[in-house]
Amino acid sequence: MNKIPNLNHLSTDPVYKSSFRESIWILGIWAACFLYTVIYCYLNGYLTHEPHLNSTGPAIGSLVGKLESFNRLPASLTTPLGLGIPDWVFYGIFCPSAVAIIITIIFCLFIYLEQDLEPTDDE
Amino acid sequence: MTETSLATIITFVTYILGVFVLAAVSHKLLNKKSFLGEYFLGSRGLGSWALAFTFAATAASGGSFTGFPSLIYSYGWVLALWIASYMVAAICSMGVMGKRLNQVARKCGAITIPDVLRDRYESTGLGLLATGTIIFFTLCNLIAQFKAGALIIEETFNFPPDWGYGVGLLIFAVTVISYTAYGGFRAVVWTDVMQGIVMVVGILILLPVVVRQAGGLEVVNQKIINKPPTVVTGVKGPYNDLVFQLVGEIEVKGIVYRHPQRPHANLSVHLDPRLPKQNRFVEIWLATNEKGETISTGNHVKQAIEQDPYLGHQFKITFPYDNNQIIVDSLGRSLEKGATGLINLSKSPGKEHFVFIKGEEFLFGPGRSSKGVSFHPLGMAISFFFMWALTGMGQPGTMLRLMAFKDSRTLKRAILTVTSYYALIYLPLVIIFVAARTLLPELTTENSDKAMVLVSTRVVSNLGLGYQILGAIFIAAPFAAVMSTVDSFLLMISSGLVRDIYQRTINPRVSNYTVKWASYITTVVVGVIVSLLATQPPDFLQRIIVFTGTGFAATFICPVLLGIYWKGMTRQGALSSMLGGFIIILGLFSPTLFGGDRIDLLGLHPNLWSVGGSFALGILVSKWTGPPPKHLVTRYFYSK
Repeated sequence: MNKIPNLNHLSTDPVYKSSFRESIWILGIWAACFLYTVIYCYLNGYLTHEPHLNSTGPAIGSLVGKLESFNRLPASLTTPLGLGIPDWVFYGIFCPSAVAIIITIIFCLFIYLEQDLEPTDDE
Repeated sequence: MTETSLATIITFVTYILGVFVLAAVSHKLLNKKSFLGEYFLGSRGLGSWALAFTFAATAASGGSFTGFPSLIYSYGWVLALWIASYMVAAICSMGVMGKRLNQVARKCGAITIPDVLRDRYESTGLGLLATGTIIFFTLCNLIAQFKAGALIIEETFNFPPDWGYGVGLLIFAVTVISYTAYGGFRAVVWTDVMQGIVMVVGILILLPVVVRQAGGLEVVNQKIINKPPTVVTGVKGPYNDLVFQLVGEIEVKGIVYRHPQRPHANLSVHLDPRLPKQNRFVEIWLATNEKGETISTGNHVKQAIEQDPYLGHQFKITFPYDNNQIIVDSLGRSLEKGATGLINLSKSPGKEHFVFIKGEEFLFGPGRSSKGVSFHPLGMAISFFFMWALTGMGQPGTMLRLMAFKDSRTLKRAILTVTSYYALIYLPLVIIFVAARTLLPELTTENSDKAMVLVSTRVVSNLGLGYQILGAIFIAAPFAAVMSTVDSFLLMISSGLVRDIYQRTINPRVSNYTVKWASYITTVVVGVIVSLLATQPPDFLQRIIVFTGTGFAATFICPVLLGIYWKGMTRQGALSSMLGGFIIILGLFSPTLFGGDRIDLLGLHPNLWSVGGSFALGILVSKWTGPPPKHLVTRYFYSK
């Protein structure tokens, strides 16, 4: 196994550097949305927590343990703000979607760096 | 001709004329700039709006307006979770790839994705493999998209079923092939902008109209929850479907249609109430003629069950279509809708069983398919959050657009626009088609692909004359979605053939004149070939679209993403990741070729396994075969 050549005498490409940093931020934002939305909706919006019947081998749903106590009762349905959207959809998807738009605006205004993308003459 | 159809025709013709005008203007620009760069990449000059709309419109394919509404109609609110990762899809796919990919493409002068791979890794073989893979997956996808386009035209203009599909296909193909071939990338982008606006305007108008007609979402939810358990039996063909509504007290798991095991069998229905509940199926044995062909019709089944002293009290049976319209099938036989069409089982005996779905299952997860299987269990919820946001990065069609914008400020504005655009498209679609369940209660699972068109036409038919044009816009929205994907994919194939294979591999000294005509002719020929293939279209539109999207991601996301972000990525690593992803995805989807289900290891969608496998191979092989050539690392990761 070989090492990447030592090029310390050169400076790292600024677009590569900033894009890499921005990508880490973006993956963090994705992870936060993913964890919140999937966990919230799975625990609050599912009638049953049975595993995937088509899966080959044990399904991931059965690996997280028994969740019968989270089985949603249809009679418990509420619709926040009278909009008619089920509570688990409203809090689990619509609200984080609104937050994601705000975070995207913040990212674009304060984290994303505008840079020249044209190659320099010696490139 | 009704006012609705006249308004629809006028709007459609105006819309198509607009597309041709844009193509003509775009064609003029072709003569002023470098042909290849302009024809396949718009001279890398896209502004914010153009980038935003062409990116969003290309991503929103026919699936968004046919398959997705069909799934919402069939499974309800859980589709909001299915599509939820679109909340971060724009920032992920444009933010992670955009700036860096655009810079790398400029550095190597690439105008296609295979160009980028070929130059980043200095490998002609890799470029050709990328081109071959793009052609393979794009062809599969295009056939499905052409089918969607043809169906929309057939349904919109209410063409007779025996020739409607063919004429729809012809109109669609001539339109999209001619403006794409004539105008090139810039025509595609400009029409994408127009199509993107049509889509969002159509949906935002449709949303309040549908919800209001349905009586409000609160009423919709209540109607859904109060509806008796229902099953639609899946006999082949749209005119024989029967809706079984359970009105009695018995517990029945499902309904089984069986082919007779002996000739001249009479049609018979049977249910044994002494069986345990989990084994109680209504068995329907169909009658046959001397040749062993089924001669039972939907009407015979309805009568047999209603006349049965026991079962007659348990079911209310209806046809999902009007019963008073006479049509003629392709053999010239007269078929009464919902009455005399012959029942034709699509699968082997014993497999056609269906489960009664309660109304409440449309309001919560996981949703239940007609086979009784959970539609969106935890593994799928995880997989689809990955799929739209992260593996969405790996689509060559959208990556190409990220190589075409003019500066980084353009990208920033486009990210903001596309994020809002997705929110305005997908969440309203969920609301519209949940409400549509109460406006179109009779659609079967098999025919729910028509939900968008039917909602548009029926909603409009209940409104005044002023809404007729709006109705046509609703219908134009899915048509626009299909066209915006097809035009991009057509160009992708022709760029692969002309630029990557002919100009860069076979004849680098080819003249501009030859390249120009080769590009026009290739685009037309590819379009014609796809049209011919689409005359015998596949059955499952959404399944093919998901397969090709997943296939693209499995093949391209790793070599491109690691190629622009990891100094240690080698040519061998890139090659392994492409081949590995391709083989894994084909392997996991292979059972679907034989009528089976795809392989979901651990209940996770193949997209996770194929993309994961592709990354693992790319990293391991690169570590093993590294380091990459010094001049490549210097060129792409350092500045002097």
